[in-house]
Amino acid sequence: MARVLLALWTKEWLALSRDVLGLAVLFLMPAAFIVVMSLALSDALKEGTRVTDFAVLGDPALAERLAGEGFRAVPAPADEARARERLRRGALGLVVLAPAQPDGSGRVTVLADPAIDALRLLAFRERLLGAALGIDLKQAANVAVEVVGSPRPARPSSVQQNVPAWLIFGMFFVVLPISALFIVERRDGTAARLRSQQVRFSLLLAGKIGPFFVINLLQTVLMLAAGVTLVPWLGGEALSLPARWDLLAIVAACTSLAAIGWGLLVAVCARTLEQATVIGGVGNILAAALGGIMVPRFVMPSAMQAVAGLSPMAWALDGFHAVILRQGSAADIALPCAKLLSLAAVLFAVALWREQRQP
Amino acid sequence: MAGLSLREVSFRYPSASEVALQRLTLAIPRGGIFGLLGPNGAGKTTLVALIAGQRHGASGEMLLDDVALAEARRRAPRSLGLVPQEHAFYPMLTCRENLRFFGGVQGLGAARLRERVAAVSAFARLEPVLERRAGELSGGLKRRLNLAIGLLTEPEVLLLDEPTVGVDAQTRAFLLEQIRALAAPHRIIVYTSHYMEEVQAICDHVAIIDHGRVLLAGPLAEVLQDSAGFLALGLSAPLPAALAAEWRARYDLREEGAQRYRMRVGAADLVQALQAAQAAGCEPLSLAYGERDLESLFMRLTERSLRD
Repeated sequence: MARVLLALWTKEWLALSRDVLGLAVLFLMPAAFIVVMSLALSDALKEGTRVTDFAVLGDPALAERLAGEGFRAVPAPADEARARERLRRGALGLVVLAPAQPDGSGRVTVLADPAIDALRLLAFRERLLGAALGIDLKQAANVAVEVVGSPRPARPSSVQQNVPAWLIFGMFFVVLPISALFIVERRDGTAARLRSQQVRFSLLLAGKIGPFFVINLLQTVLMLAAGVTLVPWLGGEALSLPARWDLLAIVAACTSLAAIGWGLLVAVCARTLEQATVIGGVGNILAAALGGIMVPRFVMPSAMQAVAGLSPMAWALDGFHAVILRQGSAADIALPCAKLLSLAAVLFAVALWREQRQP
Repeated sequence: MAGLSLREVSFRYPSASEVALQRLTLAIPRGGIFGLLGPNGAGKTTLVALIAGQRHGASGEMLLDDVALAEARRRAPRSLGLVPQEHAFYPMLTCRENLRFFGGVQGLGAARLRERVAAVSAFARLEPVLERRAGELSGGLKRRLNLAIGLLTEPEVLLLDEPTVGVDAQTRAFLLEQIRALAAPHRIIVYTSHYMEEVQAICDHVAIIDHGRVLLAGPLAEVLQDSAGFLALGLSAPLPAALAAEWRARYDLREEGAQRYRMRVGAADLVQALQAAQAAGCEPLSLAYGERDLESLFMRLTERSLRD
């Protein structure tokens, strides 16, 4: 059996190494997505470092007191009308209209850009109240905040979101070469010839699993490397690698098995290359759209977030985030890995069952 | 008997309305080459696929030397070689890589594999192209590679499913010569083809099948001998009904068009039959009599051209 597997793996490697386009899809496509999306979303997914420009009309000292903690004071416009105009154009985030009375009493009005996040607005209001009450906001920064209980998952930065997301997307794209190899084997009669040589279908499956598993692991290493080196080289944020490489490898392995299982099922069900391309490609894109690959799950409404939890790509992303983002333990990746492995087992079983139903 | 026996083998594809093979019985002896003839859709490839173990679910028995074929193959997995109609190899691999792969999946060890790759390459004269990718070969070389792969394990049962389709005359002659050289007393070779002249040239036994049934089977010489004595007759007027009925009963008369008839008449009755036709006012306008070749025999049996 070992001899048969060795022959199958060698053949698969030779075939894959000569399929330049197939390899380009597996390696260049996710790398390109990682770079483009990490750079494109680098500001949008920044949270702690986001800066809002504001101006204070009529009280330069107040502007100085309010500045800090993500709020930057800019020179005030000449009057309220010009301030409103700059807000409408998005050139300013907030404008404080200080009271006109010399003693400082009276109503304080804050004009806000409608694009300002409600939490940011609230934070600014707190700063304004603090300033009005005479609290030294610079000293207030010494106030310690303690998070009590289990913290909510942190939001990933752009590179933390996009590297694992597009890596997973690329890993699931093994569906195309796997199904193409199977279909071409059926079409050209090599599958029938192998059957006549009494090569069991389970061995043929194993012959595909080995090489594509290695391909998926190579994708993992190269895409992480792209996040660490290529993205910062192009001006984005660098990906911080986790301390637990073993956990990362386990998540990658479970994701790979699920992706290969999906590829094998498509290979067995599709009759033509066109069918495989449509089923595999569209299936991947839907799973990616749903699973928080294309659009981060945390920006989805809660109902959609619940639906997103059905996508295997979301399980894989949860696993990667547990390791990369939250530096989690084995317990943190147990559930996503169990889901991925269960899915892989079901997909392999269905592929075997379906093939054995053929006369 | 020693050889491959098929007894009452029937098979239907799922969701097909007609059976592909109907209670097909054949005895394929060792030694020589067994030609399997039939028009498209006759069931030849289905039969080959069943023997090769590519398809399952047939009723009836398939025995190799009186042992169930499946059991015989379990005991000796490398005992069967198949050369399918398709170019069943990997175009992106070189000829050597293809041979090594198909030998490897049949469990040949490294030394034996090297030896067999060299032997079949020499047999199919592939040595000059061993390092070329299979997809870049000419049609003739592809056929030779296809044949070579089927011979890697020196199989006891060799199934050749139209192995010369689409090749030029020179390659066909080479392939036929090589296939003929494969015949050996211990070996069973089944050869399916569309080309009657090929079967007539290299086969020792022949079976004609159509609609999944055996129409005729036996040693080639006997089959051709058996078909001697056919008379093709063109007459000036239609045969009277009474004479036609009499000839149908006596000579297996068949009408083959307007005033054209075909029947089996012994040499002794030939003159008498022609005189009877003349007496009935039907003058013979054309006449052909003698031993038939395989193609005309096939056409008579299947009532259609071989290449339909």
